[in-house]
Amino acid sequence: MIRFTLAQLIAHRVRLALTVIAVILGVAFVTGSLVLNDTAQRLFDEQFRTASAGADLTVRTATAFDSGMGVEVERDPLPAHVVEQVAAIDGVDAAIAVAKGSVRLEDREVDLGAAQLTSWIPQPVGAFPLRDGTAPVEAGEVALDVASAGTLGLRIGDRLTLVADQRIEVRIVGLVGFGDAEGPPVGTAVIASLGTAQEALGLGAAVSELMITTDLAVNELQPVLGEVLGASYQVATAQDLATAGAEAAASNLEMLQIVLVAMSVAALLMGSFLIGNTFAIVVSQRTRELAMVRATGATGAQILRSVLGEALVVGMAASGIGTMVGIGGAIGLRALARGAGVTIPDGDLVVEPRTVLVAVCVGVIVTLAAAIGPARRAAAISPVAAMRQSAAEARLVSRARTTVGAALLTVGAVLAAMPSFGADMPMLAVGLGIALAGVILIAPVVIRPMVRAIGAPLSRMGVAVRLAQESAERAPRRTSATVMALALGLALMSFAAIVGASVKTATGEQYREVIQADVVVESAGQEMLGGVHAAVFDEVLGVDEVGAATRLKYGHWRDAGMMSALSAVDPDAIEEVAVIRMIDGEIADLATPGGVVIAQRVAEERDLGVGDELTMTFARTGEKALPVVGVVADTTARALQTDFLVSLDTYAQHFTEDMDASVFVVGAAGVSADRLAAALERELVDHPTVQVRDQAAVIAGRTQIIDQLFGLVTVLLAFALLIAVLGIANTLALSIVERTREIGLLRALGMSRAHVGAMVQSEAVFVAATAVVIGTVLGAAAAFAAVGALGTIAPLPLVVPLDQLAWLGAAVAFAGLLAAFAPARRAAALPALEAISHD
Amino acid sequence: MNPSTGPAAPAPIIVAERLVKTYGTGAAAVHALDHATLSIAAGRFTAVMGPSGSGKSTMMHVMAGLDSVDSGTVRLGGVELTELSERERTVLRRRKVGFVFQSFNLVPSLTAAENIELPLRLAGKRADSAWVDELVTTLGIQERLSHRPNELSGGQQQRVAVARALASRPEVVFADEPTGALDSRAGRALLAFLQRASREFGQTIVMVTHDPVAAGFADRVEFLADGQVVDGFDHPTAQAVLDRMARFDAVAEEVAA
Repeated sequence: MIRFTLAQLIAHRVRLALTVIAVILGVAFVTGSLVLNDTAQRLFDEQFRTASAGADLTVRTATAFDSGMGVEVERDPLPAHVVEQVAAIDGVDAAIAVAKGSVRLEDREVDLGAAQLTSWIPQPVGAFPLRDGTAPVEAGEVALDVASAGTLGLRIGDRLTLVADQRIEVRIVGLVGFGDAEGPPVGTAVIASLGTAQEALGLGAAVSELMITTDLAVNELQPVLGEVLGASYQVATAQDLATAGAEAAASNLEMLQIVLVAMSVAALLMGSFLIGNTFAIVVSQRTRELAMVRATGATGAQILRSVLGEALVVGMAASGIGTMVGIGGAIGLRALARGAGVTIPDGDLVVEPRTVLVAVCVGVIVTLAAAIGPARRAAAISPVAAMRQSAAEARLVSRARTTVGAALLTVGAVLAAMPSFGADMPMLAVGLGIALAGVILIAPVVIRPMVRAIGAPLSRMGVAVRLAQESAERAPRRTSATVMALALGLALMSFAAIVGASVKTATGEQYREVIQADVVVESAGQEMLGGVHAAVFDEVLGVDEVGAATRLKYGHWRDAGMMSALSAVDPDAIEEVAVIRMIDGEIADLATPGGVVIAQRVAEERDLGVGDELTMTFARTGEKALPVVGVVADTTARALQTDFLVSLDTYAQHFTEDMDASVFVVGAAGVSADRLAAALERELVDHPTVQVRDQAAVIAGRTQIIDQLFGLVTVLLAFALLIAVLGIANTLALSIVERTREIGLLRALGMSRAHVGAMVQSEAVFVAATAVVIGTVLGAAAAFAAVGALGTIAPLPLVVPLDQLAWLGAAVAFAGLLAAFAPARRAAALPALEAISHD
Repeated sequence: MNPSTGPAAPAPIIVAERLVKTYGTGAAAVHALDHATLSIAAGRFTAVMGPSGSGKSTMMHVMAGLDSVDSGTVRLGGVELTELSERERTVLRRRKVGFVFQSFNLVPSLTAAENIELPLRLAGKRADSAWVDELVTTLGIQERLSHRPNELSGGQQQRVAVARALASRPEVVFADEPTGALDSRAGRALLAFLQRASREFGQTIVMVTHDPVAAGFADRVEFLADGQVVDGFDHPTAQAVLDRMARFDAVAEEVAA
């Protein structure tokens, strides 16, 4: 039987090619996302391990949490006396003071961007070995990492300005590496003497942390230090630091992971339709042959094993190729993700054995699962079938399948709708999943009337179109699998398009409603906490054309175990630039030290009102109970980005971060927005990463992430759609082989070649059009449920981007037409005679 | 209506002269037609007989415009087929020719009625409903018109195929072993109908068969052997055909011996 299986594989290799491609794509997605994740993880791990490798223990001020939403929290500096205290402890071999923080680099007033400033620590404790020049030990000297020096075009001897708390003129005296590498995987490293770093960062005599080396065992010294220093300070091992740092950095990749996993699942699901279809067709074409094998004594079980054996070989080969493609594709995926604004370190790819194992298993299992239906049908072929003529698929679809499908669809739809009425969010995903399973089951039944409905107006165009419609209706299971593969891809795209458009529109509307500022100064980058240096605000105030300006800051806090964000505003100035709609209380009450204004949604959800207290945990200051001084409308809260507002004074008490997210500016009387913007641009010319934006640009900036995500999803899905369109070509080609006799008959009866071609083309258009309708409806229904569910968090009107959907549909229909080109030519070229004598 | 059983042979509708058709080259060459000459009288029911490999199917395909020849000429209703392009032959098939195949060859997705109208619709013409009604009534399939081929018996399917061939009133109907897949009773009924179509409606019918009983229903029988028309006579009976075939076999054995 093995020989039979192999002979079959070779005989049908062309037909199986598409199956192979479909599996390759799905497996490549899985592999690519695993490789990308492992690589990023490894690089982050290495980065943080290298950074802390030299020290046995590190002392820092304690915080309630290490990082929020991918950003490490800023810690209070260690007072100078702690340094002396630690150095005096028995067992401490060396206690090396470290000053570090972020600075901006300027070269003759030109901003070169952000850099991480670290004080010079000689080897082996320091992570930055000197590669060239001398160590920066004197005041006014710095070293730069080799990689960044290359990128920025800087050399030893060049002068720079460090901009942080102070502006300090420095000279590059050396170049450093990072561990064995030329520089850290992300960002620029600047090394200065401890004194210079302290001055630049405004630390005075304080330091950021202490790196400790010891001859004792680490776990012996750690508790001793902890006891001496008390709870205000944290004593961490190098290992702990590396883990915490890497975790924070990697959490930036979570969104990307979710997208990639979703894409993998979609690609594999679409692939499985095509795999199942190919096997079903190959089996049906071989009915006679299989019956003959049965007649000569093969058991049904042997046939089953033979077909599954084929699937196994196809699955393994395709998974193998897919794994390799995925590893190669990870590089492309990384570039794509970076284009979508995700911070991913560069470096050699990491391929874990687990990745290969998972990818191959997934590929093989999906292929086997998709082939099991056709294999069972093959096993059920009776030996008598060898003597029969027709091998056409039954037109009927079992009633049980339809009933189960309808039930699943109903249950799924109800579950998916529930979050719109207050149920938990995950219910949406569960509901959509169940509904999708239902749709797949009932699709064959639905597709016939749909093809008929689409075909009805067209079938007047001639008998060729009518026959094409018949052909699409004839094998409902096959047609529905082809349609569903395409429809699924399209559904995901229209889902993303509708949800994206709705969120974008809502964001824009809320913003326009609330923010009255003429222009806004924001960072061009996508820094989590905003990247506008505090000095910018002062420069803005100095511009003559400016009437009023106020700043907005973001901070992270922990809300009963969950990371959350808050916005800090100046309660006296905010109403000059924004319409603050209060439900209760006054925004000015924020000036009352320590108060918080909450969004209406939060107030209702937690039954909080003015006079109540909200418990917030800050990294630096720990758990605090803040009085609720007001309740603000949800739209206002969304426009200011978070559901919690505090005053800038309150912010300063709990956060050391001093970056502005936005500076809102209104012009002085009689100054147009354009003139204001031009004046600000002139003033801020030495801050190239800071942008002066009008309302449209701010909205575009805020919705940029949605566009980028949509772009990423579209590019990834485009591959899957391509395969689905090829699926049409495959199904058509196979059905033409099946219908050779019938096409020959039509030719004998006087159908011209052009007619035959048109017939095949029409069938492709029917399939594509049906897929467009089903896909768009499914996508829209899912988007409707999702928008409804999201609407319970923040007001979200449903926006259907009809033009985008129309383009998508037209593109798919056109692709279907193109896909049919080759099969149509092949069908048209069938000579009438051979077709009738075919046996 | 021209009952053409009279002694005077009517004008031929198909004249095929010195047809040559060779498959393959060199030693492997098979001469399917080797200077075959044949004319088919209009309005009559002609059976073309011959053993397997005698070239009778190729002869029919060429006369019907389904296949081309290496040399020779075929005129169908005054049109020289060998000079037509593939496209022109397609149009000619649509207008002038009807087919009945051994294995019915109905389009499985179309109902009986749709199958019958198919050639007319391919030609973009309306069916003559009185004529189609008469056909389906005569053939006894009026009750089965809304059924699909797989819901019909073999005999019913072949009667649908006959109705389809006749619906457009073609100049010639070609039938390729029309009874080959039928039991003897259904086969006889079908042959009787073909005979009737020829006699009552003046339909020209060319039937390829190797069954002497089937040939017995025809007005004339032509014999092919080794790619040539070797004999032919009017008013065949099954017995006469059998006798003639026996003589061929004897000759063939003599040649072989």
